[in-house]
Amino acid sequence: MTQTPAKILVVDDEAHIVHVVALKLRNAGYTVVTASDGEEALELAINELPDLVITDLQMPYLSGLQLCEKLRETKELAHVPAMMLTARGYSIAEEDLARTNIRAVLSKPFSPREVLERTKTMLAELIDEFPEADAA
Amino acid sequence: MATPRLTFLSGFAAALAGAAGAAVGWNAWQMLPIADPVLRGGAATLAGSLALLALWTPVVLVAQSQFRRLCQRVNTCASEGRPDAAPAPIWLRPVARAMNRPIELWAERATKLQSSMRETQIQLRVAEAERQHIETILHSLRDAVIVTNAFDELTMANAAAARLLGFDTANATDRSIDDLISDPELRQMIRDARSSGVANKQRHVEHELTGSAADRKDARSFDIALVCLPDPSGGCAGVVTILRDITRDKEISQMKSDFVSQASHELRTPLSSINAYVEMLIDGETQDEATRQEFYQIIKSEADRVSRMVDNMLNISRIEAGIQTAEYSDVDFVEVAEHVVETMAPQAKLKDITLSCRYGPLVYTAEADRDLVHQVIMNLVSNAIKYTPEGGRVTVSIENDDASRSILVTVADTGLGIPPEVKSRVFEKFFRVENYKRVAKGTGLGLNLVKHIVETVHKGQVGLESEVGMGSKFFFTIPYTQDDMASRLGAAA
Repeated sequence: MTQTPAKILVVDDEAHIVHVVALKLRNAGYTVVTASDGEEALELAINELPDLVITDLQMPYLSGLQLCEKLRETKELAHVPAMMLTARGYSIAEEDLARTNIRAVLSKPFSPREVLERTKTMLAELIDEFPEADAA
Repeated sequence: MATPRLTFLSGFAAALAGAAGAAVGWNAWQMLPIADPVLRGGAATLAGSLALLALWTPVVLVAQSQFRRLCQRVNTCASEGRPDAAPAPIWLRPVARAMNRPIELWAERATKLQSSMRETQIQLRVAEAERQHIETILHSLRDAVIVTNAFDELTMANAAAARLLGFDTANATDRSIDDLISDPELRQMIRDARSSGVANKQRHVEHELTGSAADRKDARSFDIALVCLPDPSGGCAGVVTILRDITRDKEISQMKSDFVSQASHELRTPLSSINAYVEMLIDGETQDEATRQEFYQIIKSEADRVSRMVDNMLNISRIEAGIQTAEYSDVDFVEVAEHVVETMAPQAKLKDITLSCRYGPLVYTAEADRDLVHQVIMNLVSNAIKYTPEGGRVTVSIENDDASRSILVTVADTGLGIPPEVKSRVFEKFFRVENYKRVAKGTGLGLNLVKHIVETVHKGQVGLESEVGMGSKFFFTIPYTQDDMASRLGAAA
């Protein structure tokens, strides 16, 4: 682990979901920024450059999938992995996963414990994959 | 039948008379005392002619007279089926006997022909009546039906087909499908069905109709059934093509599928919250009692949300099935509306929306089911808040509408407004305005439930006035009961 805690962007139009996930991650020592829709999340991601994005799929204005596509298209965020929290896991096609950085899909109702475990794994993989990004 | 018989017998009599005349002429010539061969020849000719004439007239007269009698008898006997009932004179009996058999045969044939003709006429009338029945049935069908022959020419089409394919039934018969059907794929289907030659085997093809039908704004989907009509040799004498418009069925199917998906999502979201907060409590992630209390409240409110959603779905099902039982009481609409406004105030505040209630000094009551009326106003206010941008205004007003003898409740907002082309559909089950799906979540059930509660349960009416960008005004009326009218009139007096 680096000295500065990893920054995680949590996006969901359900305030309670954002609240509970953010609390779980903060309690585990991460820095958490939150957004309530896709557009707000994209703006925040560009400004905050998070290490990981945890997003809902079905959201107003910009869906979770569209958000991940935009992240992939943005140079500074192209490597940022994403975790999708969705009640519609079946609707994410293989090609959608392939052209985005979605590395995990968790179905609602989800377990905050599992979210935390997957977060740790994904950040560890990120360090292995992009050690220079972590160093920066 | 008498004329041919008479003609035949006249000829026979004439032959007899001619033979007799010739015999007399020959004898007269033999007896003349003329030596000159020329004179002798001329005199012989003259004598023969005179003798012929002298004999011919009575013979012909007698023959004609006998012949007429014979004819009458023969005709009478033939028509009565008793050829021997009145015997002919002895000298004509062989002739009569010879004539009777063919005449009997002709009479039998004539009788059979007459009977057959009557049967044919009856069959023709029955067939005509049946044809009219079939045509009436065909024309009353909603499905378009066209019948083509072995040359792909139209032999029959109903009104629905004429409307759909854009031709006039009066001028369409015997015309080729190339002239009448602009959709090339449909023409090919008919040709394929005819050339396949498999009689009575129905084929179904789903096809989106183009061509003249595409003049309309949207192409429509059809289930096309093609049946080959058998000919006596087992081939295909023509094709019956039935086009059923399944556009609406497909839309409903899609809406249902969307609804199941949406409802599943909507139910999973509060369940996720409940699950996550409970797990946080179990894992001791809360630092103090105040946070734990906050979690308990969230779990309670999310459980209520699930409950409300399930209630919505069940209520619609019950009302549709006609088993919804309303508990009528004297409902104070102002009290109900204020309760809704109070409940929804936090949600409005989140978007900085001004939510208010407006009414006059009168007491607005009607006999209704309070909980159902509460749900109607709640659904309308919830929708208004969802589709009104931040800083907007939502107003609930209650008034008496004496013209319709009803309580009139209006929920007006300064929101997005409903596009005119979908205004008539917003109360349909599962329907959601396509462009607004991204603005807010919903199951497409709220307004349908409003309509059911107001119109089916309370015999009132729902309505909508809206302009895109200017906001919407949803209203409903609940009729006064007789008692309400009496108390209101009494209070006024």
